[in-house]
Amino acid sequence: MASANDSKWQKDAADQNFDYMFKLLIIGNSSVGKTSFLFRYADDSFTSAFVSTVGIDFKVKTVFRQDKRVKLQIWDTAGQERYRTITTAYYRGAMGFILMYDVTNEESFNAVQDWCTQIKTYSWDNAQVVLVGNKCDLEDERVVSTERGKQLADQLGLEFFETSAKENINVKAVFERLVDIICDKMSESLDSDPTLVNSQTKGTRLTENPSPQNSGCQC
Amino acid sequence: MAADEEADVFEITDFTTASEWERFISRLEEILHGWKLVNHPNRGPALKDVYTSGDWEEKSEDIFFADFKFTVTFIYLKVPESGGTDKKESQSPEQETEQDNADDESDGTLPTVFVDMMNMDNDFPFRAHCLCRWYGLQEFIVAAPASNSDVIENESRMKLLMSSISIALHNTECKVPLFVQFQQWWRKIYSGMCVMPDSTVEYEMVHLKKLPSQYNHLEGLLDIFKGKLGSTVSPRPPVSVSVRFTYVLQEWVNSPWPQSPPDFSSSLEGDVGCSDFRILPFGACEDPVSELHLSCTWPSLSEDMIVENQVYSDLDPLQAPQWTVRIQMTEDPQCLLGEYLKNCLQLCHRKETTDELLGCLFTEDSDNDQGADISQALQRLTQPSVSYNMPSLTTVMSQASSRLRIKAEEAPVPTELLNEILLYLFPDAKDSENTEKEGSKDEDSDELTEDEMRHQTYFKQLSKDLKSSPVNSVVHKLAVSLFTVNYHHGGLRAVAHLWQEFVLEMRYRLENNYFISGVENGQPNMGSCLLHQKLQMLNCCIERKIKREQLHKGYTGRRHSTDVTDLIPTDDNYIGCPEDVSMETDDAMNISVSETADNNESCENEHRASEQANMRLASNVDSSSEDEFFECAEENQSGRTEPVAGAEMVARSEMAGENTIVQSMSTSSLASNTSFKISGIPQHRPEGRLTPCGDLKLLRSGEQMYIPVTQEPSPMTEDMLDEQAEVLAKLGSSPEGTQLRAKMQSACLLSDMESFKAANPGCALEDFVRWYSPRDWIPNEGEEPDNEMPLPGEKGQLSQRMLIPGNMWVEVWQSAQAIPAHRQKRLFDDTKEAEKILHFLSAMKPGAVVLHLLPCLVHAAIIRVIENDDSDIPKLRMLLDQVIGKAAKVLRSPHQEIRRYEDLIKMISLAEVVIARAKSLKTKFTEELLDQPGAEEELNYFVSNLLQHPEVSIRGGPCGPAGSVIHKLFIAAQKSSYLVLDDETEENSGEAYRQSPTIPDFPNPSGREYILRTWVPRPAPYSKTLPHRMYCVLVDNDYRLAGAFSHDTIFQ
Repeated sequence: MASANDSKWQKDAADQNFDYMFKLLIIGNSSVGKTSFLFRYADDSFTSAFVSTVGIDFKVKTVFRQDKRVKLQIWDTAGQERYRTITTAYYRGAMGFILMYDVTNEESFNAVQDWCTQIKTYSWDNAQVVLVGNKCDLEDERVVSTERGKQLADQLGLEFFETSAKENINVKAVFERLVDIICDKMSESLDSDPTLVNSQTKGTRLTENPSPQNSGCQC
Repeated sequence: MAADEEADVFEITDFTTASEWERFISRLEEILHGWKLVNHPNRGPALKDVYTSGDWEEKSEDIFFADFKFTVTFIYLKVPESGGTDKKESQSPEQETEQDNADDESDGTLPTVFVDMMNMDNDFPFRAHCLCRWYGLQEFIVAAPASNSDVIENESRMKLLMSSISIALHNTECKVPLFVQFQQWWRKIYSGMCVMPDSTVEYEMVHLKKLPSQYNHLEGLLDIFKGKLGSTVSPRPPVSVSVRFTYVLQEWVNSPWPQSPPDFSSSLEGDVGCSDFRILPFGACEDPVSELHLSCTWPSLSEDMIVENQVYSDLDPLQAPQWTVRIQMTEDPQCLLGEYLKNCLQLCHRKETTDELLGCLFTEDSDNDQGADISQALQRLTQPSVSYNMPSLTTVMSQASSRLRIKAEEAPVPTELLNEILLYLFPDAKDSENTEKEGSKDEDSDELTEDEMRHQTYFKQLSKDLKSSPVNSVVHKLAVSLFTVNYHHGGLRAVAHLWQEFVLEMRYRLENNYFISGVENGQPNMGSCLLHQKLQMLNCCIERKIKREQLHKGYTGRRHSTDVTDLIPTDDNYIGCPEDVSMETDDAMNISVSETADNNESCENEHRASEQANMRLASNVDSSSEDEFFECAEENQSGRTEPVAGAEMVARSEMAGENTIVQSMSTSSLASNTSFKISGIPQHRPEGRLTPCGDLKLLRSGEQMYIPVTQEPSPMTEDMLDEQAEVLAKLGSSPEGTQLRAKMQSACLLSDMESFKAANPGCALEDFVRWYSPRDWIPNEGEEPDNEMPLPGEKGQLSQRMLIPGNMWVEVWQSAQAIPAHRQKRLFDDTKEAEKILHFLSAMKPGAVVLHLLPCLVHAAIIRVIENDDSDIPKLRMLLDQVIGKAAKVLRSPHQEIRRYEDLIKMISLAEVVIARAKSLKTKFTEELLDQPGAEEELNYFVSNLLQHPEVSIRGGPCGPAGSVIHKLFIAAQKSSYLVLDDETEENSGEAYRQSPTIPDFPNPSGREYILRTWVPRPAPYSKTLPHRMYCVLVDNDYRLAGAFSHDTIFQ
């Protein structure tokens, strides 16, 4: 979808061809696989090594949800400590967060709580967060068990997935779930922010219930 | 009909629906069947007060009589869920089979209409459909003309309709009463009937403007009722009577309004008190409570017990067993805060510039002393045109201030007030004298009453939820004082004036290195409004400016020591581009190349580099305009043609940005081409070390690794960030876009790398990565890192992604030179940013200023509402929560829409009105009026009930504490209406009144209602005994008698 239209989209920057636009952010420690995860979702491609992100980068993907075109603007952030001030500035206005850790790296898991605090501090209250343990294909190197991930997610009140960008496990599910939660939240709030809705289709709202999602871990 | 022509073919003609009225009847029957009103089970008697507290539901259908359209509506009281199971079953239409049981049961019980007729528990509902009020029905059907303009006045049409309905009801055996509305809509005249197997009920109505005086009391009404019954049975059973008289109290003698709230009076007088512009006004200008309706009810009296005729009445309100009170509120009372807010909101629509607003003042001024003006004009003409340069900052400044001074007398804001406001905004501008004042202010805020303490939690939540500015911040204060000035000192012109002064102060503070007080330091807080962020940013600029100037002073002393002109080896591929060279001015002049030819410059560098291997090389970039360095301007830096430009580029347009990048890319590649190796140990001295980086040792030299002093990334306000995000987003999501974005954002990385190189001579990218991005360094397993090894040892390797050829990190590393942070190009150009902000502030039209301050104003207004909320009204709590939730949303919306503010302000005004009502009621029912000691609680209970419920019954009736207060209020009002002037006995006026027989305690009742009921056989003495009822309401110029008379259809 979006990947095929990339060049076209670039020319027509003021693309109005969508009903909603959601700004999502992927955060987490350095080299947990944020960029790979995003590339897998947006381009369905995987490379073992992407250049370490400098600052902030993004990709666009349009998805359909109940006959509504939802344009996802997914911002990929640098995980290095030094970039925190730069990246946290972008938290404002993000409607969803994918908080990622690496199941083969204890440190990245331990930092989740920290990242969560950052979200609370810098984002809007209604931002939705999904906790993602990436690289679940590397069973041999795993140091963070699925249970621990689940437990932490429960404790923080987040949805939880284990994924692999390399093996394409649960990548799509994470984004779909996040879009669903955001849509639910939007329908919930009585007067949904009209700014989220594209001016051409003002007044439309999502009211139906989300299609049942497999929110469990599949690996 | 089409059938006529084809009669041969179709023999069947449906004669049952031949005429219009037959079709009407069948349609009506269809509707009744559709609503399952046929074989409708009997309902039990309605519970007490359920007519007002229960849920009423409606079903509607359209029906035509010829071309006349009716709307048929079934109105019924919803049976509460807790009702008997029988009821529930029979209610659900699917279970009609079980209905037989219900029918059997109901055989013993009375039909619903009869039950309703005689039920005394819901006699005078204060809020119900008029038919329900008049006939006491819990379910009924109304057929009314669909359009208000259609009227049935013709007698024969009325008769035709009624007989049609009668047929329909008989055919369907529907036992629900059906009414038709006749005459004009507003007269509410209905005629109806209810058909039961053995009897019918006829509903009739009389509506008169004037009632003959012989019927204008209970006795007369009883005569009518009995006459209508025409009963000859004796002894005639007594008629039971329910009566309600309503008295209206309009004059509140004891608490005259307007009761001036403290800040209201002072501001009206134009008094320039300090409290004036610091707080928003609050309260109602007029009494929000207009009338009190007291209803005295005598439920179920026997006609023998009371007498009311033309000359005598037993119905003394003080003897009535039930008292209920309703409060009539003033529609849309004028409230100060709401007025203020609406006023401010209107300003947002204004498009005038400051000059347009204040300019006219100027011209007025110049009219006064024309001579001077003309001479000035001449002077201007004679001045050589060459001298028309761009005005320097200072001249503009002085002009501005002098201009303001000229018109001081006519300025919208008087100088005295202006100074006071400015002092309020910037308390630090005053000397030590003021610090005391400040101290006292702090004390004020410490001395919190309990109420305020209660609200503190609210306030905290508020400042977190609302995207405005902290309450004690200068922006908040400015918002409040600006709008006060707007209200009292000439509207938008005053706003423009004050704003201009404010901007001047901002510039003054920047130029003189004074921090803006009342704005917290640090990065702009994105959770605050844009204006606040701008001021925070300005503070950041001032802070940097101060630091820079201090640094400059410090460096001038020991500059020579830092002028080390070394080449440093950085990596295996030594970057030949010479760095960190501070040129002597003379040399710089020799080699300096114009900055417009960056590329050429680099080429030249290349040549020179090869020729003069051991000499310092530099391309001199003139630092006067674009490139400002931490050190003084005279010190020239070596040619650094790295992508630092990307940092600035962000603010530029996309195209320009790309050009710059391409340029910088090409130059940096050139730079790396020029690389030449110099073997040897690092010669430059480490600079800009912050602290040792743990135990880490440099890989190559084995020396302690140091974390360098780095430049902080540029602080950003949210509009800058949005702009940057937009530029980044515009690059698209292609791989090229990604690369460009990385380039654009590499300024910070480059700066950090340069600082690192400066602090760690002889370091490698691996070292940098170990500090900066530790996970990209993969130590070799099994091999203990040997810290003492001075030689490069392979103890690990860079991660795969750092080894991608041509990746950003390697590229930037190669172009980075060892320059300590303080000599690097500024990442944050505070001078430029400060100018941008000042321009932003001064270019704003007053209307825009108002819009920018609205968030703070809303914040202040909500605080004001909460402060004034001293009564615990649940309704207000809910409203407040709604207001706060809505405000949080509106203030956060990226597009500040005035329309959404309008809604918000309406809600705030509503909250203000509710509070004003509560206050008004409190002043009216003061405890001073209480006789009984210890009844305050009861009175408070009564007042809070009044606020929450449309009708409140008074506990203890006229004898209760609340009742006696109301009694006193009526006496006082009567006194004033009879113009009795006895000042002495004001306190115990109640006593005084009872002694003067001429003045009754209560006025004439403005409304009288009677319900007469009886059981009498009708029409013949041998008929079944059936209930009858007549409701009468007597109000001036509107008399209505509504009778429901039953009729035995078998024994007649």
